Amino acid sequence: MPLHWLVILVVTGIAGIALITHRLGWSAPRRFTTEAEARAAWAREFPDLPAGTVALTRQGAAALVMTAQGPGLVWPMGADSAARLLTGAKARPTTKGLDLHLPDPSAPHLRLVLDPDEVKSWARVIDGGDTWLS
Amino acid sequence: MAELSYPDVTQLAVPVFIAAILIEVWWISSKKRGGRYETRDAVTSLIMGAGSVVAGILLGFVAWGFFSALWAVTPLDLGTSVWVIALCFVLDDLRYYWVHRFGHRVRWVWASHVNHHSSQHYNLTTALRQTWTGTFTFMMVLRAPLILLGFHPAMVLFVGGLNLIYQFWIHTEAITKMPRWFEAVMNTPSHHRVHHGRNARYLDANYAGVFIVWDKMFGTFVPEQDEKVDYGLVRNIGTFNPLRVAFHEWQGIWRDVTQQGLTWRERLMYCVAPPGWSHDGSRDTSETIKAKHLARNPQDKGTPGFS
Repeated sequence: MPLHWLVILVVTGIAGIALITHRLGWSAPRRFTTEAEARAAWAREFPDLPAGTVALTRQGAAALVMTAQGPGLVWPMGADSAARLLTGAKARPTTKGLDLHLPDPSAPHLRLVLDPDEVKSWARVIDGGDTWLS
Repeated sequence: MAELSYPDVTQLAVPVFIAAILIEVWWISSKKRGGRYETRDAVTSLIMGAGSVVAGILLGFVAWGFFSALWAVTPLDLGTSVWVIALCFVLDDLRYYWVHRFGHRVRWVWASHVNHHSSQHYNLTTALRQTWTGTFTFMMVLRAPLILLGFHPAMVLFVGGLNLIYQFWIHTEAITKMPRWFEAVMNTPSHHRVHHGRNARYLDANYAGVFIVWDKMFGTFVPEQDEKVDYGLVRNIGTFNPLRVAFHEWQGIWRDVTQQGLTWRERLMYCVAPPGWSHDGSRDTSETIKAKHLARNPQDKGTPGFS
């Protein structure tokens, strides 16, 4: 197959599949609607490190989890989820919430959407200043 | 090298791949079963597939040069009959089994293969979530015996392409089980779902490409159980960025190897030990994950995946 045909096929194929799945409603990000959901998502990644207190963002876009090894974060990855301990994480306030940098090449950067009053308290916990949200 | 060429079957299969994905999307949306899609996940997988083709074009000369050198020195030439191609296909599938097994048991090779397992979905786009860095694993050396035995390098690459095409259709939840005779001999969606599982039970199982008999021969076969397969990595990645997907484990190796205070043996082990190995035992390998699971669920001892 000539290279230019291959390129056209691949580009239109990817764009078409993206468009179709989006129109089918398969691009809506997951939201944690209950604490139990966030807890289950944490347990899926850390079955040996139980979640203590859990704090959901008001928009359900992430949850802080307190564990015996310090705070952790669980967040939606598309329709699914990912989770990390926050050891060594750095948080920087933005207009929409917090930019989070993790010392982990597989999850190096997250944008947390938070309400303005959530930003300071979450940043303190993530940066290790507070043991938990007040 | 004697001139011999075969069609580039993986490129020719691209329209079939796209058509099959569209059919699977239609099936899932109309039947409300048979798998899940998510736009960014699917697009990431497809970009990884396209990038893999580009990487092959850019770096293919390395493997081809190596194979040409071997072909120049071997006194054997088995010819190009259909039976030789068929034998080459079977032996290449055995080669694939071991490359794939190394891909899960040697971190240097896992760094290349991890991206294929980084989706939490299991659909036909997952099949195309292929590596960009395979050349750097040096696993091409496992093809050397085939060429030294007299299989022409072009034939070896041709059957390797057929192998990859076979594996495309098994990345689906839309097919539950194939007929019993087929499940006994061939790799199937059911067998390969197990391979993509992050459940403790399903770790390091079913490495086969085409023939599942290799797993049965070498003791790595685990049949799909009632326990639903949870797809993805033991620690799921938190990015859809294709560059991150392609290179994150290489970056992780670099960070580990360059830590201060390690012995040279420890630095080497961070490259070649199984994924999850750490010098201080602070991380989990598949063995420790299985052991911890059994500590929590002793009733699973002796069941498939825990024997």
